[in-house]
Amino acid sequence: MSESIDRDLTLSVNGIAYPVSVDTSRNLLSVIRTEIGLTGTKEGCDDCECGACMVLLDGQPVNSCSYLAAQAVGREITTIEGVMDGQELHPLQRNLLEEGGVQCGFCTPGMIMSATALLARTPSPSDEEIRIGLSGNLCRCTGYAKIIAAVRRTADES
Amino acid sequence: MTVTEPHPARPAPRFVRADGPDKVTGSGRYTADLSLTGVLAAKFRYADVSHARITRLDVSAARAMPGVMSVLTAADVPDVRFGPFVQDRTLFATDVVRFEGEIIAAVAATTAEIAQRAADAIVVEFEPLPVVTDLEASLATDAPLVHGDWADYGSAEVVVRDRNDASFSSITKGDAAAAMAGADVVVSSRYVADGCHAAPIEPRAVLAQWEGDKVTIWTSTQVPFDARAGVCETLKLPANRVRIIVPHLGGGFGGKCGFHYEAHIAALARAAKRPVRLVFSRREEFLAPDRRREGMIIDITTGMRTDGTIIARSGWIAIDNGAYTADAGFFSQLAAMHVAGPYRVPNVSIEAHLVYTNHQPSGSVRAPTAPQACWALESHTDELAKAVGLEPVAFRKLNAVDTGAEGPSGQTYDEIGLQQCIDAATANAGYGQELPDDEAIGVAIGWWPSFSVPSGAYVKIDGDGSGQIITGAQECGTGAVMTLRQLAADELGMAAEDFQLVYQDTSVAPYDMGATGSQTLFNNGRAVVNAAGQIAEQLRKLAADHLEASPDDIVLADGHASVAGTPTATVSIAELAGIASGGELLIGHGSGQPPGPPPLVGSTCVGDLGMAAFVAPQFSCHAVRVKLDRDTGVARVLAVSTAHDSGTIINELGALGQVEGGVLMGIGQALTEGTTYDDQGKQRNAAMLEYKLQTCADAPPINTHFVQIATPDAGPRGAKGLAEAPNVATAAAISNALAAIIGRPVRRLPMTAERVWETLNEEAAR
Repeated sequence: MSESIDRDLTLSVNGIAYPVSVDTSRNLLSVIRTEIGLTGTKEGCDDCECGACMVLLDGQPVNSCSYLAAQAVGREITTIEGVMDGQELHPLQRNLLEEGGVQCGFCTPGMIMSATALLARTPSPSDEEIRIGLSGNLCRCTGYAKIIAAVRRTADES
Repeated sequence: MTVTEPHPARPAPRFVRADGPDKVTGSGRYTADLSLTGVLAAKFRYADVSHARITRLDVSAARAMPGVMSVLTAADVPDVRFGPFVQDRTLFATDVVRFEGEIIAAVAATTAEIAQRAADAIVVEFEPLPVVTDLEASLATDAPLVHGDWADYGSAEVVVRDRNDASFSSITKGDAAAAMAGADVVVSSRYVADGCHAAPIEPRAVLAQWEGDKVTIWTSTQVPFDARAGVCETLKLPANRVRIIVPHLGGGFGGKCGFHYEAHIAALARAAKRPVRLVFSRREEFLAPDRRREGMIIDITTGMRTDGTIIARSGWIAIDNGAYTADAGFFSQLAAMHVAGPYRVPNVSIEAHLVYTNHQPSGSVRAPTAPQACWALESHTDELAKAVGLEPVAFRKLNAVDTGAEGPSGQTYDEIGLQQCIDAATANAGYGQELPDDEAIGVAIGWWPSFSVPSGAYVKIDGDGSGQIITGAQECGTGAVMTLRQLAADELGMAAEDFQLVYQDTSVAPYDMGATGSQTLFNNGRAVVNAAGQIAEQLRKLAADHLEASPDDIVLADGHASVAGTPTATVSIAELAGIASGGELLIGHGSGQPPGPPPLVGSTCVGDLGMAAFVAPQFSCHAVRVKLDRDTGVARVLAVSTAHDSGTIINELGALGQVEGGVLMGIGQALTEGTTYDDQGKQRNAAMLEYKLQTCADAPPINTHFVQIATPDAGPRGAKGLAEAPNVATAAAISNALAAIIGRPVRRLPMTAERVWETLNEEAAR
């Protein structure tokens, strides 16, 4: 086994600069959860298959399990903890609750990150665009209908 | 303020979960999100072979590695054989390993990487044993035994066992053979279902910490009290020294029922004198737990009169138990009931075998045995309709049970809504409309019992008038625990938002069976209503003193206690709570008597595992519109219409979520989700990309209608269970749509594009 090579990095997460010293082989997900201490981003598969670890990098959705922390230096990382508008829930968060789009909640943070990116690039998506936009995020609880409804409502309200 | 009846009929509020803000903001903690100072990482060494005798096990190199704090094998824990039906399991492999995910050793080390290297450094040598994978071959009298010592194992008295048959069950009513001989039309079918997985998105995690002789275990279980019982049994500890706490649980679907790794991690933590945490990889989640959905072989023969009336049914079922029995002991009877089906069948003879193999063990995944058995029976039912020239829905209306009818096991049903479900689901699907020739609507009916078991809860109102429900119940995402707030609130004339919940902690709350068997609202709802009812009595007495009235005249509504007919004579519940805080505190505790089993007439069951009669049975009908690409065999579900009789619906938004999630899981089972094995019984598709869950892009619109009928012996306000029922009939309805397009059924589940294409070409070649 190779010796680990720690490197000092500064990661900008939700507008806050975090200095960390991590092995260059560490993925972004593990650094966000363990070093930075934000556990809202979940690990479901560690293989880009489920979307639970989705974060935004300069606004683009990325599976953080398969992205090196070192690659995120100099870019703005947004996690679920950065979605709220001050003390207010983001409309997506509120609508997911009111439409019944949250059950076990494990996929919810990743789903919100993907939906945020979708609405940023397509403010008035068709239902088909919503389905495709969220198809990288697996949910086992809801059957997706109420998640789609929440994204639809958020788009319609804005 | 208005004075109303104690249970005011008001429009159902939009349900916002009490745990919702935690879950949408990322502040909610799941087990893998927790840590403790000094925590160690755990890794297991798995057998990685399906059947072998251990000839050498040497952990000395692993124990000597820097950073390794404890390494445990069977030699380091009490010699206890456990299992709820058959005591065929040990924490660690002893002499023989029987499936690839069997645990041989456990390691705790300062980092996960060191723990993994240490686990890999354990030396294990095997002598191969014959691998048993074929269900029929396993039942042969000369088959190699999966458990050579099976006859010496302890088991529950009701379990009938013989060699590789871990649990046999039969239903016999009337004289099926004689009736079959006299039938005008007889149809026989064989259907074969692959096993599949619960696949919750959260891989399981366990964190254990000892303080003195007491251990606290945070774990992602659906059944905290069952997990505690497992720890106590295997580590020989009294219940009051083991505290199980479940943080937020990231889904279960049955996969996290039972007792899993809590004892391993507690034992590691005790040996290392440090807290220890286990977090499963997705691959481990596929391979190791004794909770995958069972593969089945189902033979059904039905005899009819020429008018389509069913007069006899016989069946033979083999269920893949896997290497250990876990909680699958009662599956043989459940499967037999689902092959018998919710039909008026006067003569029945069905036998079911739960068969040991060297596959991963089976266990309760959402409505165990039912989706496969329903798929087989309902596909067979469309074959029956075709054989007598009846339209499939008319055939079901003719033969399905109804209020007052006798079912296949001799149970006569009180008020039930199956016929109404058939009418509603087919009407809402537009059944009967002209469709393109590559589309069809398939229809299937299903049923599922409510589970009547003991359950407890406390309710308290503090001095400021805010309420707390302290319940043994477990929330796995369904919203069942969240809905308890509404029950307590309505009992006390308060708002659901006035209550907070303390739940899934075995040292704080009374017993509940957990998020299993769709039983939470059915049983814990009864407990919460009872507990809140005690406080309501206290409040009425306090208000009567305060308002100089009789307690019988006090009405609790809208946060106030008032004298009936005198709206001005009123006091807020918060004020009464303040008075109570200086005297007798407002505390209620509830359990209540679970409803008993319904009587059976005229049937006998060998291996009666408690499932021959269904308490407060739930019924459903699913009608699914499917489009088939004949060139590729790829089926697409265009729309789903469901109707469910789950009794009174207390939380409609939550109930719809259960149906929609169950349907999508059913679509996955129907079309893409199936475990494939190599010739050594090892899983070939233990990853999300190979084991395909349905995605958002696959999800069809789902229309749901609830048939709400006052059912005797139901739960609070006439509610039955709901979480599992929606998973029963979807695959069957898809099968019938495909058969209508192709001209014959696809007899393997999942009905993958390859299997559909094969069936298409067989039909074309005829």
